[in-house]
Amino acid sequence: MTTHTPGRGETLPPEISKDNSDFASFKEFAGHRGDYYGQTFLRIQQAKLPRFHLNTSALSGGFLWASLRGNWLLFWIGFATDMAAAVNFALVRKYDLAVVQAAADGKDFLVQRYDGWSDAHLQAALILFFSGRLLLGWLADRLYYHHYARWRVNRSLPSGQAIRRLGIGMLAVLFVAPLTIYRASQFAPDQRSCIKLAHTIQDGGQVPLKDRFDCWTISEFPTLVWLQRPPQYTFPRNDDGTRSIVVKEPSSRRPVNLNNWLSEHIDQRIGYMKAFYGWLFDGVTHWIRVLLNAVEAVFVGTPWIVTSLMIIMAAVKLAGSRMGVFTAAVLLYLALFGFWQTAMSTISLTVAATVICVVAGLPLGIWVAKSKVGAAVVTPMLDIMQTIPSFVYLLPAVAFFSVGKPPGILATIIFAMPPMVRLTALGIQHVPASTKEAALAFGASPSQLLLKVELPLALPSIMAGVNQVVMLSLSMVVIAAIIGAGGMGFIVVDALARTQVGRGILAGIGIALIAMMIDRVVQKVNRM
Amino acid sequence: MVIHERQVVGLRGVWKVFGRQPEEALQAIQQDNLQKSDVLERFGAVIAVRDVSFTVERGEIFCVMGLSGSGKSTLVRHINRLIQPTHGQILVNGQDIGALSADELRALRANQIGMVFQNMALLPHRSVRDNIAFALELRNTDPFTRHQLADKLLETVGLQGYGDSMPSKLSGGMQQRVGLARALAADPGILLMDEPFSALDPLIRRSLQDEFLALSRTMNKTTIFITHDLDEAMRMGSRIGIMRDGEMVQIGTPEDIIIHPKDDYVADFVQGLSRLKLVFAHRIMERPETYDQAYGDLAEMDTWPQAHPEADLDSLVSLIIGQQCPIAIRADGKLAGIVTKDALLKGIQGQSS
Repeated sequence: MTTHTPGRGETLPPEISKDNSDFASFKEFAGHRGDYYGQTFLRIQQAKLPRFHLNTSALSGGFLWASLRGNWLLFWIGFATDMAAAVNFALVRKYDLAVVQAAADGKDFLVQRYDGWSDAHLQAALILFFSGRLLLGWLADRLYYHHYARWRVNRSLPSGQAIRRLGIGMLAVLFVAPLTIYRASQFAPDQRSCIKLAHTIQDGGQVPLKDRFDCWTISEFPTLVWLQRPPQYTFPRNDDGTRSIVVKEPSSRRPVNLNNWLSEHIDQRIGYMKAFYGWLFDGVTHWIRVLLNAVEAVFVGTPWIVTSLMIIMAAVKLAGSRMGVFTAAVLLYLALFGFWQTAMSTISLTVAATVICVVAGLPLGIWVAKSKVGAAVVTPMLDIMQTIPSFVYLLPAVAFFSVGKPPGILATIIFAMPPMVRLTALGIQHVPASTKEAALAFGASPSQLLLKVELPLALPSIMAGVNQVVMLSLSMVVIAAIIGAGGMGFIVVDALARTQVGRGILAGIGIALIAMMIDRVVQKVNRM
Repeated sequence: MVIHERQVVGLRGVWKVFGRQPEEALQAIQQDNLQKSDVLERFGAVIAVRDVSFTVERGEIFCVMGLSGSGKSTLVRHINRLIQPTHGQILVNGQDIGALSADELRALRANQIGMVFQNMALLPHRSVRDNIAFALELRNTDPFTRHQLADKLLETVGLQGYGDSMPSKLSGGMQQRVGLARALAADPGILLMDEPFSALDPLIRRSLQDEFLALSRTMNKTTIFITHDLDEAMRMGSRIGIMRDGEMVQIGTPEDIIIHPKDDYVADFVQGLSRLKLVFAHRIMERPETYDQAYGDLAEMDTWPQAHPEADLDSLVSLIIGQQCPIAIRADGKLAGIVTKDALLKGIQGQSS
């Protein structure tokens, strides 16, 4: 405690630092050419390394040097730049040959084009090679010093030079380089010609070895599995209303690849389900339609004077007079540009989808928060629902429920429900454990705990979920116009198809205004 | 049953092991007498409560005292079965609460046991009045009765007129008064107080302690009071149980613990404590005969200050300041002993004569 022991740096002046233990450890680490690396590392430690210091062995040896030294980061940097240079050289050769071919074919414009490309690749090759080596030479000692610093802590890291590591490096090069350079020097066949080639082989025809090799290595991933086409099923309706199954042989006997085989199977499964479980899909469609009709009766079926007055009054009541003015302005825009009916239909779709999302999402969220099974079942589904692009939802909706408003609402529900579930669960999970404990200590039953403590405390989070649902529903309802959900989205889709930009822009502004109006009002309500 | 009439809460050999295989861990602990670190290593389990038995009698304030992590909060949550014991039996009013059904347990919690929490744990979305009446609301009492009762309780805890405030508008001390009122709402016989005053500043803590003592004297509740503050334990407790690493090291009256600490741990604890209010005249007085042999001036005792055997050292000090003579201790008009200045000073210091 009382005697102060000076640290090593304090006792040794920099002149004799060559003898200090760091220098010895540098030499031990570097092995071959220990003095050079010792000096360099000392300079790095003293921050005296010249700005343009280059490691000549790395400069000349490139990635080979790095593999000898066992620094794989430097190896990949050096190898990648050298490889890129080599590929460009191969491209030079490819276009030079193409120039000769085009000249022989008498296609002058191709000669010129290929000549230019060849020159460009030559320049790129030279620049890549020289600048890459310079970069490696410049980085080498600096990164190698970091390597040393890690080695000091963990002695199992590579140090010194080892021929074995050079062997590993060469293996990597052998694996990567030849095919890559070959690919660059050839015009690769496309997938279609490769499939044709496969067909020729299946028919017992002769194919040049080079084409076969090209198709297997430098084209699309080769078709490994050829599968017999499934038979075609149809499900005609009988006179007594039942369905029968009719099997037809596939139209072509030729085997198909995995993609075609599976998609045909899926098509037939969907066809089967639609034929025999149609009542289920029809039932879902029916009840969505019932709900939608009820909502539309309010928004579309009421005269515009009444509806607009009600909406403005609701906005004033819920979000204040300023929002009332804004709402009135939005409605005026919609009315003036003749979007009234379509806008109301869009709002009806949004409201219907929101209602279903909230009614279904709230209990699901409670289940997720309360039960491990619930979380394990629902969370991955939500993840999938949120990762799949919204466009893709339209497909299953159309497949099972055909086109129109109900499938549009279904796709919207799938798109918009996840935040409702997540935020409900989040809100409930974030109720402090001590508060729940207090409620239990006073004899609350599980349902009392949920209704009197957890849900009220989770309410802000739940309302944030509702807000999200509304906004997501609105955006998806617009997209669902593609499958015939109508509304403002239809005007945009229609305008796109007929390239009537002006009409599309006006409708787009209308949609944006509706979104702003709903968002502001819902947010104001949440804050109260 | 008759024997236990005064016994309100009883714990018999209660163990609590937290971990994946509590039963197996417990068996191994009991068979091989494992230590804490062994249990953690072999089973990944933690012993929170280790073979604790005690009883609390009607009207008592039983303090459970221990440092953080000693298992005192876990222990007290066994009494209303917020935590299930791994082993052992818990009796409340002579009833084994381990055998209760979910409904009976809820009834027990609602009617017989009130609880106060360190962090108040009030419901932030309800007014003070609705917070206080929460236990009654859970039992479906009508709003009129609830309001009447809540207002009465607000008066009891000195918060008249705050019924319609939201808890967040109140200070910490006021919130804890609400917490206390809530615990009293269902008029339970037992109060569990989990470090109720620890989060408050010292002055407010003091006044709340005094108020609570006054309240509990009038209301005749049985209280189990958790604290990590020895001073508080000594002030509040009619008996104190000292916990360490899940074990109940010593149970006794404050005086017991301060005069006869069971082991070095407890001794260390009570070392710095002032004895002025905790040690009483009968502990340090000499018998009249012994005194007379040594000094022989017993005849002048009528001129000496007089005190009761239950007088604490503090009051004896006040009596003897400025006097040359000793103090005569009288009980029921008879001379019970003599306290000399030396004996008093030794008593304050903690040496027994």
